[in-house]
Amino acid sequence: MNPEKFVTRLNRRSFLSNVSLGVGSLALGSMLDASGLAKRPSLGVIDPLHFAPRAKRVIHLCMAGGPSHLETLDYKPKLAEMDGKPMPKSITDGQPIAQLQGKAELKCLGPQHEFQNFGQSGQSISSALPHIGGVADEICIVRSMTTQQINHDPAHTFMNTGALVAGRPSMGSWVTYGLGSEGSDLPGFVVLTSVGGAQDQPIASRQWHSGFLPSRFQGVHFHSTGDPVLYISNPKGVDAKGQGAVIDAVNSINRLRNKTVADPEIDTRISQYEMAFRMQASVPELIDTSNEPQHVFDMYGAKPGDGSFASNCLLARRLAERGTRFIQLYHRGWDHHGGVKKGVLTTAKHVDKASAALIRDLKDRGMLDDTLVIWGGEFGRTPMAQGSGRDHHMKGFSFWLAGGGIRGGISHGNTDDLGYHSVEDVVTVHDFHATMLHLLGVNHKKFTFKFQGLDFRLTGVEEANILKTLLA
Amino acid sequence: MDHGWDIKRTMKLLVTSGTYRQSSIADAKTLAADPLNKWLARQGRWRLDAEMVRDNALAVSGLLAKPIGGASVKPYQPVGYWKHLNFPKRKWAPDSGVSQYRRGLYTFWCRTFLHPSMLAFDAPTREGCVAERTRSNTPQQALVLLNDPTYVEASRVFAERILQHGGDTDGERLAWAFERILSREPSTGELDILLRLVSERAAYFAANAGAAKAAATAGEWPPSMALKPERVAAWAAVSRAILNLYETTSRF
Repeated sequence: MNPEKFVTRLNRRSFLSNVSLGVGSLALGSMLDASGLAKRPSLGVIDPLHFAPRAKRVIHLCMAGGPSHLETLDYKPKLAEMDGKPMPKSITDGQPIAQLQGKAELKCLGPQHEFQNFGQSGQSISSALPHIGGVADEICIVRSMTTQQINHDPAHTFMNTGALVAGRPSMGSWVTYGLGSEGSDLPGFVVLTSVGGAQDQPIASRQWHSGFLPSRFQGVHFHSTGDPVLYISNPKGVDAKGQGAVIDAVNSINRLRNKTVADPEIDTRISQYEMAFRMQASVPELIDTSNEPQHVFDMYGAKPGDGSFASNCLLARRLAERGTRFIQLYHRGWDHHGGVKKGVLTTAKHVDKASAALIRDLKDRGMLDDTLVIWGGEFGRTPMAQGSGRDHHMKGFSFWLAGGGIRGGISHGNTDDLGYHSVEDVVTVHDFHATMLHLLGVNHKKFTFKFQGLDFRLTGVEEANILKTLLA
Repeated sequence: MDHGWDIKRTMKLLVTSGTYRQSSIADAKTLAADPLNKWLARQGRWRLDAEMVRDNALAVSGLLAKPIGGASVKPYQPVGYWKHLNFPKRKWAPDSGVSQYRRGLYTFWCRTFLHPSMLAFDAPTREGCVAERTRSNTPQQALVLLNDPTYVEASRVFAERILQHGGDTDGERLAWAFERILSREPSTGELDILLRLVSERAAYFAANAGAAKAAATAGEWPPSMALKPERVAAWAAVSRAILNLYETTSRF
C-alpha cells in the first residue's frame, strides 16, 4: 500500500477514536447545538464535521503587497494632526522595521484619503473604496490584525500556512483535505492571479502548496493567458473524441491489469483520468462567461478574458457555484512604498468595485450565507512616511470578512491613535485561522496531521482564539 | 567494504538477489500481515519519481540524450508560466536540439515556479530538504502525460519507431511496443483494446488530413518523411495510450 494513503487512513482513524473517547459529552453537545442541526457528514477526512458549519466554502481575496490600513479601513485623526511631525520614539523604539531601518528621523504621514461613514451601520471606510463602502452593512472590519513577518514572501507564507518556515500546507489545502470538494469536475482548491495595476508583487507557487498533506490537495493555479489550467488542451490534431478514445483505452487496460495485480492505486489512477477528461470539458465551460448577462459584467467591471481581478471575481463566483471549496484570488498591486495616495487609488480601481460586486452577487444568489469571503493582505503599512509612501508594517493592520456566519456591519478591535500597534482585541493569524475553521464546522485543535512524529495543525501550538464577536 | 567500497558491485548484488526479484503481487494474508512491506516478503511497488517519469518516456521513444553532466536545460514549458515572477522578470525559452531531450535531472529548477510537469509528479521545490517524497495520484498527472508537448512528442516519435521496426502486422507492432515499454507481451484483452483504437483512429485520420499532419509532426524532432502522416497519427494515439498506462509510470 502507498504509505501516504496508509498514513492518511491512520490519521482518519485517530480522528474517529478521538471522537469516540468523548462520545457522551459530544452527543450532549450536539443536542444542545443552538442551531438544532444534526452533525453533518463530510466529503473529507473530518467526517462528521465537529459541529454544524456556517460556511461551506471560502473565497480569499488576497491583497498582496500589504495594503495601507491607514488609507483603506482604519482612519486615524490623530495621525492627521501629527502629519510631518516626528513619530514618537516611545512607539517605535526597539520595533522591527523594514526599509526605514537606520533612518535618522521617522516622521508621521497623515491619512492620504478622506474616510466616510457608510451604510446604516455607519462603518468608517476610505473614500478610495466607495463600492466596498456600499456593502458596509454586510462586512465585518477587523482593525487589530497582527502578523510575525515583515517581508512579503514570509508574511504570505505565515498567512497561508500559519507557519514561519516554508513548506507547510496552505490553508486551502487544509480545508480541502478536511472537508473534501463538492464539485466532481473541478478541483477543490483553485488559485487565480490577476493582471492589471502597477507594482506587481512576485508570488510563489509555494503559497498554495499542500506541504506534507497529500498533493492532490494542492491549489490548482488558473492562468489568464494560454491554457487556463496547465495542459488542459488536447494536443494538436486530437479532438475530444480522439482524446476520449485514448483515455478509454488507458482505463480499460489499467482495469484489465488490475485484475492481476490488485492495486488500489490503479483504481485511483482510473478515476483521476476520468476526472482529467471531465476537467477538459468543465474548465472551458467555467471560463466561458458568454452566457453571463451584460449587467453582471457591468456590476463587476469585467471584460471577458481580460485576466483582471474583476474577471477573476466573476470566475470565483462561478467556481463557488460549481462546488469548489477554497478559492484564492491574488491582486498584487498593494506595495506602496512611495506615492501611497495615488497608489491606493490606482489599485482600488482594480479591486474595489469587483470585491463589492462579488458580495452583492453572492447575496443575490442566496450564496453569501454559506460563503465566507475574506479580504486582506499579508501585512499593513507604517504610520511613518517613506517619502510619499509607507513601509511594511506587521504590528497592526486591517481585514474585512463577510458572509458564511460573519456578523455584518460591525468592526472588531483597534490600533492605537497613530495606527501602529493593535491594542484592542488583538487578532493573530492563528486566531483568524481558528475562526475560519470554526465557521467551516471544524475544531482547529482536533484537526491534525501526523508528520515527522508531530501532530501538526494549521493553528500551530500556541493558543488560538475563535473570534466570537465576529460570529452572527 | 571487503571489495573496496565498490558501489556498483553492491548494487548488482542487491538487484540480483532473490528478495529483489520477487513479484510485487502478494496474497491477502501477506498484505494483511505486513501492509508496509517491512519484512520484504514481496517486491515494493510505486510510481516512478518525477524526473524518471520523463526519462522513461524519452528513453523508450529513443529521444533521450545520454551525455552526463553539463548545464541545466529548459524543456517545453507552458507560455506565461513565469508571468508572476518579478525582481527581475524572467522569460522561459525552451532549448532546442539535443538539450530538449536531456534527463529530468538536468531540468532548470526554479524554486518559486518549479517546472509544472515536475511539480505534478511531486518533485520537491528544493527550498528545504525532503528525505522522502510524497507519491500522489492526481488529475494533473493525467493531464501532463496526455497533453504536455514532451509526452506528445515522445508518443509521436515512438509511433514512427513502431512503424519502422515493429514488424508487418498490427499484432506484431503492438507486441514490439509492449516489449519496449513494459518488458512483457500484451494479453489478448489488451491487444483487442489497442487494435480497436488503431483501426478507429486510422479511419479518423484518413478522413482528416489536417489533423493527421498536426499529430504526425508534434514537437520539434524532425518527422519521418517516409511514413504517411495518417499512419503515424493513428499509431501516436496507441503509443500515447501505452505511455499513459499505470504500469508504464510505475515499477512493479
